[in-house]
Amino acid sequence: MSASPVLLEPTGGRTRRWTTRAVGWRSFLSRLLHRPEGAIGVAIIVFFAVLALAPGIFVGPLETVTNSSGKRLEPPSLQHLLGTDNLGRDVLNLTVHGARISMLIGLLATVVTLVIGALLGIVSGFVGGRTDTVIMRITDFFLVLPTFVLALIIAPIVLDIIGTGEILGIRTTLFVIVIVIGITSWATTARIIRSQTMSVKERAFIDRARVIGSGPWRMMRVHILPNVTGLIVANAVLIFAGAILTETTLAFIGLGDPFAPSWGQILGASQDAGAPGLGAWWWYVSPGVCIVLVVLAFTLIGGALDDLLNPKARRRR
Amino acid sequence: MGSRYLLRRILQAMLTIAGIVVLNFILFRAMPGSPERMSHNPNQSAAARADLRARWGLDQPLFPDQFARYISTTLQGDLGQSYKYKGQDVTEVIANRVWPTIILFGLGELIAIAVGLVLGAYSGWKRGGVVDYAGNGASLILYSMPYFLLGMILLVIFATALGWFPTAGMFTLGETYSSFSDQLLDFAHHLVLPLAAVSLGLIGQYSILMRSSVIETRSEDYITTATAKGLSESRVLRGHAVPNALLPTVSLIGINLGFIIAGAITVEVVFSWPGLGTLTQEALEARDYPVLQAIFLILAVTVVFANLVADIVYGRLDPRVRT
Repeated sequence: MSASPVLLEPTGGRTRRWTTRAVGWRSFLSRLLHRPEGAIGVAIIVFFAVLALAPGIFVGPLETVTNSSGKRLEPPSLQHLLGTDNLGRDVLNLTVHGARISMLIGLLATVVTLVIGALLGIVSGFVGGRTDTVIMRITDFFLVLPTFVLALIIAPIVLDIIGTGEILGIRTTLFVIVIVIGITSWATTARIIRSQTMSVKERAFIDRARVIGSGPWRMMRVHILPNVTGLIVANAVLIFAGAILTETTLAFIGLGDPFAPSWGQILGASQDAGAPGLGAWWWYVSPGVCIVLVVLAFTLIGGALDDLLNPKARRRR
Repeated sequence: MGSRYLLRRILQAMLTIAGIVVLNFILFRAMPGSPERMSHNPNQSAAARADLRARWGLDQPLFPDQFARYISTTLQGDLGQSYKYKGQDVTEVIANRVWPTIILFGLGELIAIAVGLVLGAYSGWKRGGVVDYAGNGASLILYSMPYFLLGMILLVIFATALGWFPTAGMFTLGETYSSFSDQLLDFAHHLVLPLAAVSLGLIGQYSILMRSSVIETRSEDYITTATAKGLSESRVLRGHAVPNALLPTVSLIGINLGFIIAGAITVEVVFSWPGLGTLTQEALEARDYPVLQAIFLILAVTVVFANLVADIVYGRLDPRVRT
């Protein structure tokens, strides 16, 4: 970057900046895929993402009580590869459709968490002073709190207030879970982003931006945010895994939506029907394996990202 | 240890608990419905309703009157009455359920810490060995698995299919015991599977952390020095690497307690273990808010205390943080 940016930048400065960034991301992705654990993790996530995007193509429409295709609690057979549940629904069908619900909730909850966490982290680190103190006190509070139990209490309250229905074609129950996960798990993100922001803030280009008259919001958006994006992405991977686990547990305990069965919801239903006691292992083993695979994949990717972003640790391993 | 560090940590913990109490108050008011609606009496006159409101202190402003009252009753240990178990105090309902949970999770934690730390330390030290390969793989899978799923799998194998252990509860229903040891044996028999689910679920976390911590420690200069002094490998590991690698693990045990609680709730549900976990699920189903909030209060305060203890232990182990 030249010393007189005002003269050089206006024509295509922005595009050039974005191309550089795109090239950087692409090489980063290829380095990630060259690590075995990164490649395995990405492959698993891509597999489930494809299932989640178009479950109907693979197994047809979601089976319900009225259009269930089998008898109740059939063990796996050629007709029903993964057996049936207590309503005669095909478990393979439920599991593939469950991928859509679980991945969607995981994705949305991750986005909510990251938006809250990154916003508070950047503002806290950039503004500093009293704002920083207040935000960090709240963050510490949320870090100590058993947030899962808080989620357990908030979810039914919010559900009772909003009621059941649909917002933008997504059932409100799912939205409530997304929001509850979001407001209870942003604290670690905020902490990480804050410390990175504080280090970025001290670099020369921030002074330069200030000298040419950029306001604080513009500086945070244009200069700080791009420099903490890598960290946000690395964090997103772990948040996603946590969100899937939290959703599973919330749904298992009875806060899921029976009409939009996620993997956790299937597990909860099988537990309520006493599947383990009846020996109907097929009912819950398949959704269970899916959960483990997705969480494992994100954990593997997280480890690979950590190695890439943290060269000191890489040398040691 | 510096008394100022200790004092500051205790003050912080008190502030956090105060915050939890305030949060609990706000949640209680955010709940849909109101006490007088609970009486479901359409013939109630306006005057009678106002009288009820006055008796419950609901005619007073939320702040400071109702708030002050809430704080003072909470401090006196009065957490209100359960909606589901009519006429029972929340504290009473909870007191009956605390011990099963403490036994199950206390033992589970102890086993997991012992096994997880040893496994992690060994596989970190012999990195790339058979134990490391198998242990790390198993830990990763256990770490990715919700506790209750582990419980359901153990249940279907060892209770339903093999019949080695009972499927539910803490004692055999309707059983009369000839002696205390018989009762204890029955209890232990019921405890095995839930305990296995809890400890297996936790081992993964501790072993992963201990492993990476030991690996990190291995490249420290003092390990090189100790090796150069001619100490045997096991002495370097036990005397130098493990004590230092334990530091991050200590703080993890405190922080983790909050997450363990999530597991506690679900494992108890799978095995119908009559602890706080099953109570939470029952309260959720019946929308028994007073019980839910009391559970939150108790668990949150416990976690804050656990963190405080972990910090104090950490401060004792590592002089660098005592500022």
